[in-house]
Amino acid sequence: MSATVPAAAPAPHPTATPAFEAHDIFKHFDGVHALSGARLSVREGEIHALLGENGAGKSTLVKVLTGIYAPDGGRILRNGEEVTFANVRVANRAGIVALYQELSIIPSISVAENIMLSERLPSRGGIVQWPSLRRRAKEQLDRLNQNIPLRMLAGDLSPVQQTMVAFARALANDARVLILDEPTASLTDTEIRDLFTVLRSLRDQGVAIVYVSHRLEEVFELCDRLTIMRNGETMLTKDVADSNIDEVISTMVGRSAGELYPDRGTATAEVALRVEHLDGRRVKDVSFTAHKGEVLGIGGLAGSGRSELLRILAGAQKHVAGTISVGDVALPHSPGVARALDAGIALVPEERRSQGVILSATIRDNIALANIGAVSSAGIVSGGRISDITKRGMSDLQVKARSARQAVGELSGGNQQKVVLAKMLARNPKVLLMDEPTRGIDVGTKAEIYRLIRALAASGTTVIAVSSELPELIGMSDRILIMHEGQISGEARSADADEELLLAYCYGKNA
Amino acid sequence: MTSTTVPVQPRTSIGKFLVQGGTTIALLALIVFFFAMRPDVFLTFTNVRNILFQVSILAIVAGAQTLVMVVGDFDLSLAATSSLSGAVVASLMLGGMPLAPAILIGLIVGLLIGIGNGLLVAYLNLSAFVATLATMTSVIGLAYLVTQGTTLFNLPPGFNALGQGRLLNVPLPVYIAILIGVILWAVLRFTTTGRKWYAIGGNVEVSRLSGINVRRGRLMAFAAAGLISAIAGILLAARLGSGSAVQGSDNLLFSVAAVFLGMTVIKSGQANLVGTMVGVAIIGVMSNGLNILGVNSYVQQVVTGLIIIAAVTLSSLKTRER
Repeated sequence: MSATVPAAAPAPHPTATPAFEAHDIFKHFDGVHALSGARLSVREGEIHALLGENGAGKSTLVKVLTGIYAPDGGRILRNGEEVTFANVRVANRAGIVALYQELSIIPSISVAENIMLSERLPSRGGIVQWPSLRRRAKEQLDRLNQNIPLRMLAGDLSPVQQTMVAFARALANDARVLILDEPTASLTDTEIRDLFTVLRSLRDQGVAIVYVSHRLEEVFELCDRLTIMRNGETMLTKDVADSNIDEVISTMVGRSAGELYPDRGTATAEVALRVEHLDGRRVKDVSFTAHKGEVLGIGGLAGSGRSELLRILAGAQKHVAGTISVGDVALPHSPGVARALDAGIALVPEERRSQGVILSATIRDNIALANIGAVSSAGIVSGGRISDITKRGMSDLQVKARSARQAVGELSGGNQQKVVLAKMLARNPKVLLMDEPTRGIDVGTKAEIYRLIRALAASGTTVIAVSSELPELIGMSDRILIMHEGQISGEARSADADEELLLAYCYGKNA
Repeated sequence: MTSTTVPVQPRTSIGKFLVQGGTTIALLALIVFFFAMRPDVFLTFTNVRNILFQVSILAIVAGAQTLVMVVGDFDLSLAATSSLSGAVVASLMLGGMPLAPAILIGLIVGLLIGIGNGLLVAYLNLSAFVATLATMTSVIGLAYLVTQGTTLFNLPPGFNALGQGRLLNVPLPVYIAILIGVILWAVLRFTTTGRKWYAIGGNVEVSRLSGINVRRGRLMAFAAAGLISAIAGILLAARLGSGSAVQGSDNLLFSVAAVFLGMTVIKSGQANLVGTMVGVAIIGVMSNGLNILGVNSYVQQVVTGLIIIAAVTLSSLKTRER
């Protein structure tokens, strides 16, 4: 397999010092190899992308590099000297810090305390010396060019500010190698800009940054070099300038990605969904129609009301005014999820792990969740009928799992998303709403999801999909609506849409 | 092909088995221990019947607690509710009301308290801890009012027979507890209501977006728990032949303890009826065994706490293993 792929060559650049290297790292769990010969070499003052599909071993490698897992084999070098990290604390002391989106800050204490958390708090006789604490915290924020009120509770900050506080703490800790795992996942486009500015300035201060992300556009914009992993092995390390998205995708997937998006053109003239003058939280006077067999993309900046629009259509959020009709039938006002489902509108929500699936429950139970009526009679649930719809859903969507009784939390992101889809498709929806259908999903599965969406449309379902990625929006949709501050600010046919035009709509500029 | 799921091979080592089945093994170990200490007494028919009789009321309250904990809440007021229901029935009968309507009113009292808790938690979004602590306080006060702070005696023999009568030489409350246990197990396992309760306990938002009426589900769990604990309270009054504001108050801690122990019995760590009954059995066997050995009842309480800590520690080791 690897014969078609350029051999991994983490040859150190003659002029740059590798700040941190990992050679031939092996790690297995219960006899399954998570890492088999992973390599990574990061230089001071570079932003280095670590790429790979879900399950390729990125997270495991990061955990080995930061002392969370002990490797079964291989060497880790810090400034050319071999090191072993017994735990996270030891790795931190060596200047290696990994930042995860969720765990990075303590919401209930102040910004200054968060930044100085791993330091000893300056105190005299057990009394905290606040001025000195705040001064030292501020020094770190200044390095990041951030002006965040030091006394504020960290929980009251925006996601990007919280990320900055986590950076500041790492800097206070004298971090020289920063490992960031999907740092832009919950950020808006503007916030991503700010984050990139900060990352570039850290790089210029000599910090080595390892950037783990699924968003390839960001990688090509931000990073200097990239390393691609597949099946626990490092396949490729090279300068970003010498690579391109096609190469990255085919290396990640292990085969040519081919066309990511299937052909369009399954839309009919028949109106499946009619929305008139819809008003609600973050949604202002929205009217549109969607047709049978159409894939309608909805774009806009975060906070533009696109998710809220979907939630109102799905009955998950109340609306103030306006009507929603499926075919010729008008839904009651603020119908609630159950009645919206009965009317044929199903939602695949944005936050898969907190809104889409019960992670601790089995695939069966998750699929049964939205279909309790169909799998029961007179209030008694039939295990056989659950098996039937689960089997059908799993084979239609090619869910990869050991069995239908496996807990959904053990599946990869893509397979979790398929379970959410299976749950909703078992309702035979006329209109399927999908909020960020491919977020956090690896490239191979993304293509599968796009094909699935198109196949659904071809079978007469109307798919309305929200996405923040413009190429995705253009690639998968027949027609695109862009929202700005709760209103529809523009409409385009995908065939003649380009990113520039859509972006203008996103900022409310009606071209 | 990239396989995206990591196959987890179940290892059947003895260590794993001990961790996995720890709570059940603890129960067996207790039985073996007490049998070894007092082979002449512990496993005799009379003593086993005693244990079953002693735990029957607790089993019913713990069953009620299981429902609420399946939904992801818990109810501190269940034991107080059962005391109040028992007291209400006793007081009504002493006032001359016939058996059946008195019991019916006692059950309605429990149901109403449960509905009240459900409204506070599910519709007014109070935390279950605060809401049920508050109702518990008021319900205890009501029970004192109903009994005027005394113990109500001289209940009709027909009523006392419910708690003291025997069928095939086994006390009636044992049958009733088993019947309620089986019904609750079946409800949780086979009915749409039960599956919805588990879903809500798993994740409220996912359930809501799947079209499940989360508020109604939580309300129903509290209401059912109130009703069932009323049954327990009425049975207890019949067994003791009396009604008071404090009888059965031990069941508050022991019912929660039983459910927690039960959560350690199954792999997913959810509240479940079978596990709860294992927990009830542990508490009952220990209390009876220590009694037989002549250990004082305060020590028993200390030991119960330690057992819960041990069980929960075991189950957290289990989750860490992943």
